[in-house]
Amino acid sequence: MTIFPENVSTYGQDIDNLFWLILVFAAIAFVISLFVLLYPLVKYRAGNGRRADYITGEKKKHFKWVTYALVALLLSDFVILYVEHDTWGNIESVPAISKNDVHVGIIARQWNWIFVYPGPDGVLGTSDDVYVDEMNSSLHVPVNANVIFELRSQDVIHSFFLANARLKQDALPGRTVMRWFNITKPGKYDISCTQICGILHSKMRNFVLAETPEQYKHFTDSLYAANKPAPVAAAAADTTKK
Amino acid sequence: METKQNHLTIPIIKIPQGRLGTWVLIAGELVIFGGLICCYLLFRIRYPHWGAMAAHTNTFIGALNTVVLLLSSYTIVRAHGAAVKLDVAKARLWMTCTLLGGVMFLVDKSIEYAHEISEGFTFTSPKLVAAGDHVGSLFWSFYYIMTGLHGAHVLAGMTAIFIVMMQIRKGNNLHRVELVGMYWHMVDLIWIFLFPLLYIAK
Amino acid sequence: MENTHHKQSFWSKYVFSTDHKTIGTQYMIMGMIMAGVGGYLAYVFRYNLAFPGKSIPFYGMLGPQAYNAFVTIHGMIMVFWVGMPVLLSAFGNYLIPLMIGSDDMAFPTVNMMSFWIFAVSALVLIASFFVPGGAFGGGWTMYPPFSAGGYLDPNPNFFKALFSGTSLLILAVALELVAMLMGGINFLVTTINKRAKGMTAWRIPIIVWFLNIAAVIFMFSVGPLVAGAFMLLFDNVLGTGFYDPHRGGDPMLWEHLFWFFGHPEVYVLLLPSLGVLAEILPVFSRKPLFAYKTIIYLALASAFLSVLVWAHHQFVAGIDPRMATFFSIGTILISIPFAGIFLAFMATLWGGAIRMKVPMMWAIGFIGLFLVGGLTGLFLGSNTFDIYAHDTYFVVAHFHYTLFPDIFFGFFAAFYYWFPKFSGKQLNSSMGKWHFWLTFIFFNGVFFLLFFNGLAGQHRRINDYSSFSLISREPYQTFEQIATICAIGLMLTQFIFIFNVVKSLRKVKTGVKNPWEATTLEWVSDSPPPHGNFNPYPEVFRGAYDYSLPDAEVDFTPQNTPKA
Repeated sequence: MTIFPENVSTYGQDIDNLFWLILVFAAIAFVISLFVLLYPLVKYRAGNGRRADYITGEKKKHFKWVTYALVALLLSDFVILYVEHDTWGNIESVPAISKNDVHVGIIARQWNWIFVYPGPDGVLGTSDDVYVDEMNSSLHVPVNANVIFELRSQDVIHSFFLANARLKQDALPGRTVMRWFNITKPGKYDISCTQICGILHSKMRNFVLAETPEQYKHFTDSLYAANKPAPVAAAAADTTKK
Repeated sequence: METKQNHLTIPIIKIPQGRLGTWVLIAGELVIFGGLICCYLLFRIRYPHWGAMAAHTNTFIGALNTVVLLLSSYTIVRAHGAAVKLDVAKARLWMTCTLLGGVMFLVDKSIEYAHEISEGFTFTSPKLVAAGDHVGSLFWSFYYIMTGLHGAHVLAGMTAIFIVMMQIRKGNNLHRVELVGMYWHMVDLIWIFLFPLLYIAK
Repeated sequence: MENTHHKQSFWSKYVFSTDHKTIGTQYMIMGMIMAGVGGYLAYVFRYNLAFPGKSIPFYGMLGPQAYNAFVTIHGMIMVFWVGMPVLLSAFGNYLIPLMIGSDDMAFPTVNMMSFWIFAVSALVLIASFFVPGGAFGGGWTMYPPFSAGGYLDPNPNFFKALFSGTSLLILAVALELVAMLMGGINFLVTTINKRAKGMTAWRIPIIVWFLNIAAVIFMFSVGPLVAGAFMLLFDNVLGTGFYDPHRGGDPMLWEHLFWFFGHPEVYVLLLPSLGVLAEILPVFSRKPLFAYKTIIYLALASAFLSVLVWAHHQFVAGIDPRMATFFSIGTILISIPFAGIFLAFMATLWGGAIRMKVPMMWAIGFIGLFLVGGLTGLFLGSNTFDIYAHDTYFVVAHFHYTLFPDIFFGFFAAFYYWFPKFSGKQLNSSMGKWHFWLTFIFFNGVFFLLFFNGLAGQHRRINDYSSFSLISREPYQTFEQIATICAIGLMLTQFIFIFNVVKSLRKVKTGVKNPWEATTLEWVSDSPPPHGNFNPYPEVFRGAYDYSLPDAEVDFTPQNTPKA
């Protein structure tokens, strides 16, 4: 049994490392606190005429122990904040789009994920975009490329969760959020919705299918060859843009 | 029992209980309106188009209502002054003036509402929505919820003033005049915020 | 005061009573009944999680709509109809007047109205299960547009929309908030104005301080949500578009309004329970509370900071990434005062003469469990790790490790401690110990393994995990089953408590006024306290925690003992 699902993204390892770092701090704090809590229960039991010490705790020589602990906590908090800061910026800000990157759209609706491929021109939001709206379909992406996606929602709030890439982002109706991931290992990975969105919330599952660049090229070529934008999907695109 | 009461009614902080309670109540009410006004302001900054919508509100009636409320606040201050001097008749007279002010405010407001509704600006403004002006319809939703909630407070304040007027008939509970006065000032104060936000800023 | 002169009818004595003790008891009983309802809901959906697709004993088959509704209403009930009434209203009403040496609350009639509005709100909530479409099933956070029916139909049928699960839930919450606001006004005015002679600010017991700080936090955070709830209700029944992005509104507005209240609410629930600890720990360690004044300052600091951290619930909601850093720092800062309070509590034990009675066991158990809850908060307060852990079972386990000890351990500690005050009788202590140990073990059994489920990527509010290959595998399904079995054990354990209470209430009164040898004023009064509480009224000469004074003969010196 491993704690986390297999990590397949470039930044996933940073998040896992952050977990272990915080766990070290938390474990140390837990052990010390538990000792401080339980030791006096053994040591200072009533009985044998024992009378408690009169300590109000207002004096510096007593209170300093609390202060030390608080300073230690504050310091470890800021260490965590410092360590995580770069990772946060890395995940939350979208890199500049270069030629090798893949640009796709993901539209959430009750209760499915619609994937939008940019079409032969490679640019989203043009008339040759292809919408794939099928239950349990896969978002095809090439491995080792930055996949930059525009996340939108048609109706209520959903949340795009790709556990293997350690990525989660809410899809709010009326907003377009840009995020990215870069998957390093070919495979089929679950996409789930983590924001309760109605009766079939638990069936709102699709996949990311990470392929070699050749396979991906083959997939998009056949997709674009077969597809003029379907009328249903085009209508869906209109409602989301409103 | 009486002696115990006497022992207890020596408060450590010498603010009468009712006054303290009213202050706390007012603080709670202000936070409710504060939240609403913050929401309004955030949208207002986002949608400059709201200025065009605000142009449809009747600034004259709004200004008139401001004056009416300020005057009614003045009369309730006079009622409090009379109550302090234990002059029940005068206190009730001044309170009647405040009630009349409240009635006038509500009448003005109804005339204004009627006019706006006849122009198609309602709580949901289906006309604007049909014309595709969704953002404009949201202005009117805010307009009605803010003035409506304020109107409900005017009505609540008037009810309280009326009840206290009945209670002090025999010269008891005169201190309550001050409490309803404080509440009425709060109602007035909220209007002072709503008036520029909804009527003047265009 | 007239009541004492006339014989009271049954109605005015037990039902429409204005006596703070009766109202406190009513709140407590109502809260416990609602805890039963919330527990039953939890039993049903936990059973479904462990054994998906099986018929549930005492319920039947659970469909996805009902599952969502049960999860939602379970959360609602436990926070608003158990935590709030039991911790804030029951403790506040029962204890504040007794502990500051007063005859009653400042506004007894308002107090009574507050309870009955609360009772109506509970009925409205329960009624929402029986309207067409059933109770609301969109999570206790009620995020629009899902909770704003108008997004489906811009011109809703008013009555149909009003009698929907969503509208009734909003109404119930609004009524509950009004009831608590009325109670809060009462707490503040009573504490400021109705203290016994000599009860200066620095002599007030911590629990009274904390209840008042909680009331202040509540009053100043709830206002925007009340306004927001009106807007949500109008979106539902009239078809306005406050939260509908297609009509100019913004669902993010609700997230901000909700969490601006929702996070301080956590501290509203936490502070009264910490107050209970502050009363119990000194009594059973026979030692003054460590750093009394500093604790109050820390609590005031946390009250101030509590309104600056709300957006840490929205790290992945699409807020500006730079804003998240600000809220991350706020979250770190607010952990400091609370850690300080807990450390001061632990320091109280050092050098004491500890009596391990039942209330003390609950208090220690509370701190131990809360430690886990607090430290797992470190993971979630980190915005980066929250990208992964948000809305997973890691969050579920984390907040149950904070709220369960807070609400239930806090309540049981208080109940075992003040039961002699409340009834003049003692609870059976060996049954109390069984109750404690079984609750403690079963609670850990329910939630500890769920941390691992969360880390494996198991997300919340899913009635059927079969679609997800990652998490429907072993050992996570076994963990779910262990959790469910422990949850059932946890609920059955509470019958020990009920049996203990019923049995103890039938015993004769012990006649002991101050069984724990405590110093605070409530033990000066008779047990149970008569109408009007004290005769004669006490005068206060010293702080609330004078235990083991070096020059005193016994190891406790009540507050009404004159200084030598």
